[in-house]
Amino acid sequence: MNIQGKEKEKMTYDAIVVGSGISGGWAAKELCEKGLKVLMIERGRDIKHVEGYDTAMKNPWDFPHRGNMDSMAREQYWASVRTGYTGREEHRHMFENDKENPYLEKKDRGFDWIRGYHVGGRSLMWGRQSYRWNERDFMANLEDGHGVDWPIRYKDLAPWYSYVENFIGVSGTKDGLDVLPDGDFQPGMEMNCVEKEFKARTAKKFGGRAVTIGRTAHLTAPTKIQTDLGRASCQFRNACMRGCPYGGYFSTQSGTLPAANKTGNLTLTTDKIVHQVIFDDEKGKAVGVKAIDQNTKEEYEYFAKIIFLNASAINSTWIMMQSKSKTHANGLGNDSDQLGRNIMDHHLAVGASGTFEGMEDMYYYGRRANGIYVPRFANWGSDKKRDFVRGFGYQGGASRASWSRGGQMDGFGADFKEEMTQLGPWSFNIGGFGETLPDANNRFTLSDQKDKWGLPVVQFDAGWGENALKMRVAMMNEAAEMLDAAGMKNINTYDDRSKNPGIGIHEMGTARMGRDAKTSVLNGNNQVWGASNVFVTDGAAMTSASCVNPSLTYMALTARAADFAVSELKKMNL
Amino acid sequence: MGGALSAPTMIAMLEGCKSNTATEAANSFALSTDYKGLVAEIAEIIIPKTTTPGAKEAGVGPFVEMMLKDCYKPSQQEHFVKGLDALEEESKKANGGKKFLESTSAQQTALLKKFEMMSNEEAKKIETAKKVLDAETGLAKENKGKVETPPTPFFKLMKELTLLGYFTSEIGCKQALAYVEVPGKYEGCVKMTPGQKAWAL
Repeated sequence: MNIQGKEKEKMTYDAIVVGSGISGGWAAKELCEKGLKVLMIERGRDIKHVEGYDTAMKNPWDFPHRGNMDSMAREQYWASVRTGYTGREEHRHMFENDKENPYLEKKDRGFDWIRGYHVGGRSLMWGRQSYRWNERDFMANLEDGHGVDWPIRYKDLAPWYSYVENFIGVSGTKDGLDVLPDGDFQPGMEMNCVEKEFKARTAKKFGGRAVTIGRTAHLTAPTKIQTDLGRASCQFRNACMRGCPYGGYFSTQSGTLPAANKTGNLTLTTDKIVHQVIFDDEKGKAVGVKAIDQNTKEEYEYFAKIIFLNASAINSTWIMMQSKSKTHANGLGNDSDQLGRNIMDHHLAVGASGTFEGMEDMYYYGRRANGIYVPRFANWGSDKKRDFVRGFGYQGGASRASWSRGGQMDGFGADFKEEMTQLGPWSFNIGGFGETLPDANNRFTLSDQKDKWGLPVVQFDAGWGENALKMRVAMMNEAAEMLDAAGMKNINTYDDRSKNPGIGIHEMGTARMGRDAKTSVLNGNNQVWGASNVFVTDGAAMTSASCVNPSLTYMALTARAADFAVSELKKMNL
Repeated sequence: MGGALSAPTMIAMLEGCKSNTATEAANSFALSTDYKGLVAEIAEIIIPKTTTPGAKEAGVGPFVEMMLKDCYKPSQQEHFVKGLDALEEESKKANGGKKFLESTSAQQTALLKKFEMMSNEEAKKIETAKKVLDAETGLAKENKGKVETPPTPFFKLMKELTLLGYFTSEIGCKQALAYVEVPGKYEGCVKMTPGQKAWAL
């Protein structure tokens, strides 16, 4: 399609944001609030806040299979099946039908790619755990020589972490730890009795090792910023992934989208799959994007002075790979051949569980969609004798067993039924989240296969590294040691190595930030090398992975890059 | 993960229909009228009416059949029906030719206890076969080989689906358990009250 004159004018904005997930929402909000006319383009359908959350208020018995996947769904959501929870009946509609949106995997080098193509993206279903990276996280690559050095440091991001925390609302407690920097928090959620006991015993037995309540993007004491957007405190229903009608947790819909709309500067268009950035070789910069309507297959072109790619770690890069021009013959910003490489995730499904005897008369009220957090201790401080680099944290918690324990017990009849209505024993689980290293061989490419829109299907070629596998042994054994030290009984360890990278749904890398165009795709302000009016601020930008959940960092990077972009625009530098 | 489904049951579902034909075959599953009644009765024996309604009132019989049809592969469905066949056969053998539903309550309970034991034995064998030792790490891991996971034993699946069907039903949640739709707050350390029931969720 060749658009000229008035038509083109209508399609022209100050800025284009591709994607409406956790980072795209932030790009749109920030750019709109700074006075730019912004077009946000979402490839999937619209989901309206509150009214679009079809299953939010349903009861367990309202779901025909009581949450379980039926055979037909298993066939269609073949990647979601691998997580064990994303395909559940309560929120399956928030995830992609993998049969309709296929991807390919090299043999034994697979990737569990879990997507959410709709307004809000995965900000509607995210785990909401929100941790700042620490100073050493930004120096890790420099320290041990894996990957390239980050072009920024903690101090560059610290004010933006605060800025983001104050807007989204993060509940947590300040612990004064270097390894897990404190943020601007709303009151932390309470630990239950057994978790408090675990915290005390861990500190005593392991020389002050920290255990804290999960820092999570749930409102516990909403500020005016949040109530003005119609958000209310978390109601402790633990039905988050269906969308929260109270706005209790942060999502695009509850936070950045209404804020961007308030400015009057936002245009949101849905169902348009952006597949290319239009680069003008003469001007030496990008001028717009090409998109296909997912329903009508009609082609569109949109134009702007700056473009933010926030389509997710894989899809932002997928767009760049298809954006070939004379200047960028190998894909946008890909002189380094690093585009699509260095996919990282957090490795998990390893840890230990046990039972706690005592406190039998204690219970809890409410469904806390949060657990405890054990910050990294390996290769930190005086802990140095490890056969792996980097570290891991644990997430988990205590609960009293429900009726579901009956499936593993003998018995039936009146007494059995009565017992199942009573509180079961306390059980405790901690599972590790380990850092993975950037490795150029972990990558995806565009295959020859085309999807139903004629666009190239992604092919993954990824695996866990040697370092991660060594780390897992420690993750499992030390989880058991901690439970044992805390007095737990019946300790079971697990290390499920059958999962592929991607299982953490923390995919990062593929268009990393760096200091040199020869070894990275983006500079220290998230600008694409050789296309300085294109910014990539989602998971693709990550240079290393840390072991903490990444979304807070994506948001901080996005707010920082948007601020930089607008100041450059004002200086006429873009 | 919620629900009463144990690891083997989940695996049976995980490896559920991978092709259209398998799904079609699974979708044509139905219990005979006799067996519909039998399944409903076994569910009621597992979760009987007491001061609160039992499995029958909560519709567990039809629920079990629907779950078998929608969520399990044909080999699991067949294995379940074979379990019902065996139960009828054993009932006749043990109770002078009487079908399960015709026998006394004590006879029914005795027979189901026997089937529970048989299920446990079968489950143990499956667990052993599933684990292989990883040569490198020495860790037990799931056998990812081409061997198809055997179906979940009849009584085990019957019991798990009964628990799931009952305790996630409106009756189960609101009458047998304590259900609060919108808790509104979280308190981590609460002293149990006399007669406290477990939360439904």
